[in-house]
Amino acid sequence: MDTFETLRSIITDKFDIDATKVTLDATLETLELDSLDTFDIIFEAEEKFGIKVPNDQVEIKTVQDVVNLIDRLRGEQGKK
Amino acid sequence: MKKIHRVVVTGIGVVSPLGNDKKTFFANLMAGKSGIRHIESEFAESLETRIAAWTDFDPLAYFPKHKANSLDRVTQFALVASQQAIEDSGIDLQAHDKDRIGVYLGTGMAGAASLEEGYIRLYRDNASRLKPFTVLMAMPNAAGAQIALDFLLTGPNLTFCTACASSTISIGEAVRLIRSGEADAMLAGGSEALLTFGTIKAWEALRTLAEEDPLDPGASCRPFSKNRSGMVLGEGASMVMLESLENAQARGARIYAEVVGFASSSDSAHITKPSVEGQSRAMKMALNNAGLQAADIDYINAHGTGTLLNDSTESAAIKATFGDAAYNIPVSSTKSMHGHLMGAAGAIEFTACLMAMQQQSLPPTINLNEPDPECDLDYVANQGRVGVKVDTVMSNSFAFGGTSGVLIAKKL
Repeated sequence: MDTFETLRSIITDKFDIDATKVTLDATLETLELDSLDTFDIIFEAEEKFGIKVPNDQVEIKTVQDVVNLIDRLRGEQGKK
Repeated sequence: MKKIHRVVVTGIGVVSPLGNDKKTFFANLMAGKSGIRHIESEFAESLETRIAAWTDFDPLAYFPKHKANSLDRVTQFALVASQQAIEDSGIDLQAHDKDRIGVYLGTGMAGAASLEEGYIRLYRDNASRLKPFTVLMAMPNAAGAQIALDFLLTGPNLTFCTACASSTISIGEAVRLIRSGEADAMLAGGSEALLTFGTIKAWEALRTLAEEDPLDPGASCRPFSKNRSGMVLGEGASMVMLESLENAQARGARIYAEVVGFASSSDSAHITKPSVEGQSRAMKMALNNAGLQAADIDYINAHGTGTLLNDSTESAAIKATFGDAAYNIPVSSTKSMHGHLMGAAGAIEFTACLMAMQQQSLPPTINLNEPDPECDLDYVANQGRVGVKVDTVMSNSFAFGGTSGVLIAKKL
């Protein structure tokens, strides 16, 4: 499962955002996603990737940051 | 002495089992149409009574998907009704000091569906966590808060939770706030979306729900009829735009009516059993507040739930309040058609009263086919009346818990 593609489909499904706007370097702010929306995306990502995102989070600004976080947790938590 | 401001209604919004705008809603009431139908949800087969007054409502017709998904149905209803009331009033919110416009909303069970969905995940599906928006969707003040957020209204924002009287109280308290000069305008009303499996089962257990009419589910709620068997749960919202008379006149607004009287009181008698004395006291207090006499009232929209006890008690309370004049006042229960909207009941029934004055027409009590000696008033049985004088109206709400709310409005 490609992390970015899956994340992009979560974001576009949930928020009716044009897929072309969801690029790795896009910031969540420019996609008009606030902190609650980010929780919502992380919630979906946890289900899809079978990971658990701890509460003490690294700062997330861009889509790349979310991809990095998911990839790291997939590695650490041993689920592919 | 401080000036007391007169308060008028300038806008109406309705989301209901009888249509999602005020005109369709009232036309259906006048036609004696019932919004009570079979419940189509999957859980219906596990219910003893499978009828409700549910509302045809597609959230995606009003909100983008992500927004719809983050709002409980009760909030969606409230926002749509608010938008309608604002548009109907013609008020230009940008042109007003929005610190002087607030929101008072009544609801009984608030975000019941969101809470229940969370519990289903947790207890049935053994999920380890709940959706991030659960708290924000279920909290009782969510609907009122979201209205303020969407329309940028920075005045007082309160949620009233007094069961079946919630939105009569919210409107009445909003009237008081404008009267005292603390606000120029208020969006007030109620919203309810409680047709979830758990909530309906809880009501079932209370043994107050009507049995389904075997021939016609729409005929199941029979207020004031000897063969009545209980209430039918409903869902929807109604909001009104209230303004000080000065504010409304200054902008040349169309005025539906003046809210001339309001009273709230508590029976302090029994948690469910209604009290003649308590109900009558509330009606007398409202008449007194309006400075009106019994003979001035042209129409009463009854609480009229269709339970054995409510309808005989309310009839007796009307007689205790109005004396012999009670027999000359048309009284109807529109719940026979739109069901019991709980926290939104008072608002939608007040709206029915406003439309009755505007159209000089009285909506009927349908399914009234067996006279009850204890219910011997003029209930506008089965057939609405057009071309009648409807200049002053009373709207009653009597809640579980004993809270009574009575509003009186008068044509200007």
